[in-house]
Amino acid sequence: MRKPLVLRHPSILVFLGVLAVFTVAVTVLSAGYGTGAISTSMVKTLGKTLCLALAAVAMDLVWGYAGILSLGQMAFFALGGYMIGMWLMVARTEGIVTGTLANLPIPPTDAEISAAVATQIFGVVGSDKFPLIWAFSGSLWGQLALVVLVPGLLALVFGWLAFRSRVNGVYLSILTQAMTLALALYLFQNDSGLRGNNGLSGLQNIPGLDAVGQEKLSVWFLWASALALGLGYLLIAWVASGKFGSVTRAIRDDEARVRFLGYSVESYKLVVFVLAAVVTAIAGALYYPQAGIINPAELAPIASIYLAVWVAIGGRGRLYGAAIGAVFVSLLSSWFTGGRAPDLNLGFYIVKWVDWWQVMLGLSFVLVTLFAPKGLSGLVDLFEGLRPPRRRGAALGPDMGALREKEAVE
Amino acid sequence: MRLFLLALAFVALALPFVAHAQSPELGAVIAAHRAEIEKPSRGSVGPVVEAIAATGPQGAALLQAWADRMLALRKSDGLLVITSPEDGNLKLTDAATGTDLGTAPEGEVTLLRPNSGVRGVISAALAGNALSDPDPKRRGEALDSLSRRADASQLALLREAMEDPDPALAARKQRLERLLTIQYDTDPKARIAAIESFGGDTGLDFRASLNPLLATRRGAMEEIPADANPARELAVGSDIPRDEAYALLVSEGLAPARLTPEAMRQTLAQHILDGKVGGVPLAQLHEQSARDRAYTALEAVGTVQPAASEAEVDAALDRYKFVDLYAEPKAEVTTAARAALRGTESRIGMMQAADLSLDALSLASIYFLAAIGLAVTFGVMGVINMAHGEFIMMGAYTGYVVQQFIADRTISLIVALPLAFIVTFAAGVALERLVIRHLYKRPLETLLATFGVSIALQQLAKNIFGTQARPLTSPAWLDGALTFNDVVSISYIRIAIFVLALVFLGLYLFIMNRTRLGLEVRAVTQNPAMAASMGISPDRINMLTFGLGSGIAGIAGVAIGLFAKVTSELGSDYIVQSFMTVVVGGVGNIWGTLAGAALIGFLQKGIEWFNPANTLAAQTYMILFIIIFIQFRPRGIIAAKGRAVGA
Repeated sequence: MRKPLVLRHPSILVFLGVLAVFTVAVTVLSAGYGTGAISTSMVKTLGKTLCLALAAVAMDLVWGYAGILSLGQMAFFALGGYMIGMWLMVARTEGIVTGTLANLPIPPTDAEISAAVATQIFGVVGSDKFPLIWAFSGSLWGQLALVVLVPGLLALVFGWLAFRSRVNGVYLSILTQAMTLALALYLFQNDSGLRGNNGLSGLQNIPGLDAVGQEKLSVWFLWASALALGLGYLLIAWVASGKFGSVTRAIRDDEARVRFLGYSVESYKLVVFVLAAVVTAIAGALYYPQAGIINPAELAPIASIYLAVWVAIGGRGRLYGAAIGAVFVSLLSSWFTGGRAPDLNLGFYIVKWVDWWQVMLGLSFVLVTLFAPKGLSGLVDLFEGLRPPRRRGAALGPDMGALREKEAVE
Repeated sequence: MRLFLLALAFVALALPFVAHAQSPELGAVIAAHRAEIEKPSRGSVGPVVEAIAATGPQGAALLQAWADRMLALRKSDGLLVITSPEDGNLKLTDAATGTDLGTAPEGEVTLLRPNSGVRGVISAALAGNALSDPDPKRRGEALDSLSRRADASQLALLREAMEDPDPALAARKQRLERLLTIQYDTDPKARIAAIESFGGDTGLDFRASLNPLLATRRGAMEEIPADANPARELAVGSDIPRDEAYALLVSEGLAPARLTPEAMRQTLAQHILDGKVGGVPLAQLHEQSARDRAYTALEAVGTVQPAASEAEVDAALDRYKFVDLYAEPKAEVTTAARAALRGTESRIGMMQAADLSLDALSLASIYFLAAIGLAVTFGVMGVINMAHGEFIMMGAYTGYVVQQFIADRTISLIVALPLAFIVTFAAGVALERLVIRHLYKRPLETLLATFGVSIALQQLAKNIFGTQARPLTSPAWLDGALTFNDVVSISYIRIAIFVLALVFLGLYLFIMNRTRLGLEVRAVTQNPAMAASMGISPDRINMLTFGLGSGIAGIAGVAIGLFAKVTSELGSDYIVQSFMTVVVGGVGNIWGTLAGAALIGFLQKGIEWFNPANTLAAQTYMILFIIIFIQFRPRGIIAAKGRAVGA
């Protein structure tokens, strides 16, 4: 009888515990359900951060465990947001339009309501008809299914094409980057059917819940995000442990050897890639109702690179590292770029953090890559007294051709 | 307007008879048209002007004065005089005879001030006169004004003045005469001959003269009249949508308007009675069928106009024919014009293809320039340098800074190119020594570390130069374009970039194949350990190679800055395309990079040609194509062979 997952990996319990404590603390301090020490916008920021942490955990599965540096994860994130945004926008506009039309002497027909909604939504891009891709936008369950299906299918097709032809390493990174760029450029067009560069807006108003108010709604979303992060973390930790996880890590370390051992490397990679895409999309579907607006700029290649940056700073190959990195760096970023950080007076020059944060982030990122490949979670190792053996340049293995330590830093 | 043209055409027809029937005396003409001269109107002044013009040079002088607003009536006796300013007074000349009448103060005459429409008519008549002017310059000007605003009346004028001693002007007159013949001649045979005489001419003026002939008007009629010239008959449903066809019938008053849902709702709203409309309760009216019932009930009692039912719509559509009619009534003329236009269009299509190829070539050279540095660092060394785009940006900003110190554009460019190389070479060497050297075994982390450098450099550039675009002005001799004809042209700056790309290709080949450095670079690429055993320092070679690639990026930056705005995002605009150029072309081979750049450049322009309004779509489809292309040739167009592949 094997011990349950959480006992084999105590870090999972610790993570979930911290997450629970955090959620309860924020709830108690929130304006909606507690003292109001934390403003509603801050609650939203924290909720969004949890979604980003979930995306980072998924990124860690792809990169830290399977060795696929995907620079297109945010494409899935934004697609998830778009899918839920379509329903939010239609349902909300429908509510408003029905209210307006009800004042007319004759009650409106369904066709009239639908036409008025379409005019309202697509007026900005010069159209008054629903494009085909909005076919399910009237149904919440339909769009929720699409949140999973569309990014999953995209990942399946893209991954199948890429892995099948054995595109890997930096080529794959560039290819995924090209994918997200292509998608972003496509969505920027007005006739793409998703309102071009206007994107979808007003997503923070949940139809039917107008009476609840944003103070409480933001806490609800925080709960949902925390729940999603907890479940997603468990799922990915489960996948990454056990035999499947071992094979995945083996693929990361030496793909050819795993292939020669008879494993279907492509299938493993594909499963990991699609799973990560779906989890990322769910994170996106929770993120954008809190952000309130989504537009194609969210798919810009740089956003996905930032995701990789967070994971690297947090420490890849460890799920809690990815989550810590995302939370730490994104909160720090919004603090520094929000203009709230005090200026640093060097005497001859006043450092304005709004201007210099990006420079510092870039350089600290270089430093982390060079000197602390384990990232922030390396601190945990330090705390636990785990240290890599100092071989002083000796060979790593017993046989003659073994790599020397200096040659195989990673 | 059409009436006016008709009137003019009539005048043009009548004019030769008037002019030849008698040689009229100017005084008599003035006397006959006195009222018209004093209060001219655009619509009716034509015959008067023609009559005056026909009297000879004195008449021309009168018209010139009239058009210049120098024609006046002497208040004492009402004599028509030509005035010219002299010492604050006016010098008067008898308009009819040209006799000098001495000077008079301005108060003694009433100046005639014709409006601009009238003056247009006058100057057109003058142009006809000027066509035979002894001065070639004036004849040229007259032709210019004629080709700008021609109408039927001038065809006759032009024909009378066809002889010209200057062969160039004679040719122009010939061409203009044929163009006017196409539009205004009354003899269809002459018009067809004129159309055919142009062959496949691609001139804008020829196309402009054909287009009005082929203009069509859409109409509905029961029978096509025998004298009409239909372009084509439209089948309802396939050529013209059903709704549109019926709307045409309605707009021509041939059928009653159909009831739109909106109109039906408004009508129903007007007839609400005790919460019911036509006996149907209001609450049920959110369904179309209920509304139909209510409306039918209203129709039955006669409170509303019956609307056209579907069957009536079908019947009306069956009864009428929908045709595009040429405004030009002669079928043989329109046929000839269409054939000529088709021939012209196919030649223009070929020229457009040529023009597009030039565009694609220049785009390919830009991509090649941006990617060639990457071909060195990524292609040869296998190092992913995400900061490559920022080196391009650094080069562009170097050019901008140099221009702040050196005013002369040419010299500043000559200084900027090597300086950009030096700056980015130094930056590249520093990056290699400080960061990349430690990550050779970890390519993915090189990617991320250099990305860190990239965002730091971008923000630094923003802090130093601000967010707004900085101009990098090209020297005057690079302004303008090399124009082959109306369609094909290419700007000099693009030619310069093409030449620069060629120079770099040559330079790269020379360095790699003919110098000690190139030999050592190739040795280190193939087998660093073996190269080290031969006394080559791989560290030094890697540093120099990386510096070289970065330096080339800097020079590319100056070139790109000449036509693009220099911003801190300049580099990131090119980085993905540059990587794709190298990947598509095949890593480690400069010819591959060239092929990749050509493929991407031509592809992008080709897709843009299909959908010119949408360059975003072009880029999307291009990237999709590349993703699919990589499936079939994962190692690029020109794949590296041998043991280097796995490395």
